[in-house]
Amino acid sequence: MDTSLSHAAPVRVLVADDEDDIRDLVCLAVRKAGAAEVTAVADGTAALAAARTTVPDLAVLDVSMPGATGLEVCSALRADPATAGIRILLLSAGASLDDVARGLSAGADAYLAKPFAVADLVHQIRALTGRRTETDGLPERQPA
Amino acid sequence: MTTVVLGGSASRTRSRRRLSGLFPASPALARALPTTALLLVAAGSVAVGVLPVVDGELVVAGLIAGFLATGLARLVDRSTAAGDGTLLVPATQFAAIALISTGTASLAVLFLLLGPVLSLALTPGRRSLVVAVAGTTAVLLAPRLLGVDSSAPVDLSPALVLGPLSAGLGSLAVRDTARRSGRQADELDRLRTERTALEAQVRTRADDLDVATRMLAARAQTMTSVIDAVTEQSIIGTDTDGIIRVWNPGAERMLGLPRADVVRARSIVEFHLPAELEAAAEGAGSGTGMAALVAAAQENGSDVRDWTYVDADGRQRTVSVAITPRSDDQGVHAGWNFVGTDMTEVRATERMKDQFVSLISHELRTPLSSILGYLELVLDDEEQTLTDEQRRYLGTVERNAHRLQRLVGDLLFTAQVEAGRFTVQPEDVDLAGVVRAAEETARVAAATAGVEIHVDVPENGLVVAGDAVRLGQACDNLVSNAVKFTPSGGRVTLSLRAAWRLSDGAISHTEQSAAEPVAQLAVSDTGMGISTEEQGQLFTRFFRASTAQRNAVPGVGLGLTITKAITTAHGGTLDVVSAEGEGTTFTLTLPM
Repeated sequence: MDTSLSHAAPVRVLVADDEDDIRDLVCLAVRKAGAAEVTAVADGTAALAAARTTVPDLAVLDVSMPGATGLEVCSALRADPATAGIRILLLSAGASLDDVARGLSAGADAYLAKPFAVADLVHQIRALTGRRTETDGLPERQPA
Repeated sequence: MTTVVLGGSASRTRSRRRLSGLFPASPALARALPTTALLLVAAGSVAVGVLPVVDGELVVAGLIAGFLATGLARLVDRSTAAGDGTLLVPATQFAAIALISTGTASLAVLFLLLGPVLSLALTPGRRSLVVAVAGTTAVLLAPRLLGVDSSAPVDLSPALVLGPLSAGLGSLAVRDTARRSGRQADELDRLRTERTALEAQVRTRADDLDVATRMLAARAQTMTSVIDAVTEQSIIGTDTDGIIRVWNPGAERMLGLPRADVVRARSIVEFHLPAELEAAAEGAGSGTGMAALVAAAQENGSDVRDWTYVDADGRQRTVSVAITPRSDDQGVHAGWNFVGTDMTEVRATERMKDQFVSLISHELRTPLSSILGYLELVLDDEEQTLTDEQRRYLGTVERNAHRLQRLVGDLLFTAQVEAGRFTVQPEDVDLAGVVRAAEETARVAAATAGVEIHVDVPENGLVVAGDAVRLGQACDNLVSNAVKFTPSGGRVTLSLRAAWRLSDGAISHTEQSAAEPVAQLAVSDTGMGISTEEQGQLFTRFFRASTAQRNAVPGVGLGLTITKAITTAHGGTLDVVSAEGEGTTFTLTLPM
């Protein structure tokens, strides 16, 4: 666990992806980024419910999920004042400019296309949670 | 109309010929013969005693002179310079008659004068008239001049006056009549010639008309048979209002209605989707219906695009329709032609293909994320170090996963280009930096393959407007290809320089005032080259050169397609020059 964060407040992150392997990978990256609490769900409906219950600092949402898509969850969170402040990172297999534009229009703070480098994901999480450090111990990798 | 004008000289020539119609080659003889005949009658009359003979020698001399005149006529005809010889014949005849007249002392002999007088009357020229009068006078005076008995029972004095007068007037009358009949004959000739010419013209015109009519009929028949033979394309002709005038079997088949039910009875607009026409009207800012249908063709001269046809049963077909204006035989706009090809299945297949590519690419990305993500975690785990062998194996996995990732990216990008969704958001890009980066990327592979890469770029860089990532991808593709296709010991040269594109498209490497500045990157190799036959297909999706297959060069045939698409999207050009066994140069030219 990284202990050189800029402040000690616990960070809570919600991870939603219907692919078990990807979800586990994202959870690993989130922990590498220094999150204290990670909630993992496998569909959009559960993601929306968990977000409303836990109000995390960051939600990492897959775009293509059963129940509700990441875009729909994103819009719903932004529409609810109780959850509007949650930072949102969208993960998607769609890498075109249109895909990115759709994600940002739905209210996402950042967008990462699959396949992604774990290092990039960790950087994004830290940036969105205000946890970026100068020496986070993670190796720099070129985007794939 | 041709006017036939006959000249006066020609007319006179023909008139003369007519006078000697019996002997066209011997006019003098022809004119002498009547007198000869009369002399024979006179000789007969003397022989049988009808005519009295006062002086037999004179009569014999006269007959001999008369027949000599006939012989003389033969000579005159044969002579090339007849001239006055023509008058010599009647003059001799007058002398013969004078001798006979004197020898017989009979007025009855004077009938012989008819011969030479008529002959001279028919001879053109005033001198013939003078000869006629003089000859007649001489004949009448001959008995006295020759000193034959002047106490003849008949007084010849009145005859001396009347004879020449009659001969002269008679000659004039005959000549006038001959002239008039000649003129009439000329006129008749002229009219006949004109009529013949007119008849020939009429016949020619009739023949021409016949040929033209048959050609038109043949052409119409050919057009009809060609149009009727087209069963896979609809050919529909309309008037300017859209009312259908031509409806071929292809249209019958595509839209399910026979020609008889449609021609002059239906409008082409009835077979279109109203919503599509409304959208077209809105897009073109034109009226609805027919105006919307032909708006683009009206503006550009022709138009080809997909339209939705609705057939007799309400089924919709996606049809690629070429619309062109139609003119009548005066060149006046008469309507429109619509040639349609049913693309329903083709478009559905294209959509399925695009969806398939997108779906597969998406589905590949997710497992790739897991493979690469977990590999990264393992390879970068500082707490659990790997053995060199483990690291090498996992490095192979990672390299191939990245290769798969590039392939997926290429497939998605190609699908994006095919769907027309690829656009460039231009920003300033230093192409020299892009080229250096491409060399760095290919450096390891080149070193492994024993290929030397030489980079020649401007030190101060060369900035173009473009998408840095996509331009990097294009350069990477060109350099990677060059390395892959070059055998060990070969050389790849990346040369970037500023240039100028002239108005005719040619590239100049010296600054030109009116020319467009461009950046030109040449990627040359000393590799296996590409055959001339295959160079035209290089930018086709999934095309692989035979040299690549023979030499087991890895790839799927998307790199150059993508590079070309990127170049085109930047407003540039990509050219290739190659010789099999010698090498290849790809030249990428981009506007600055």
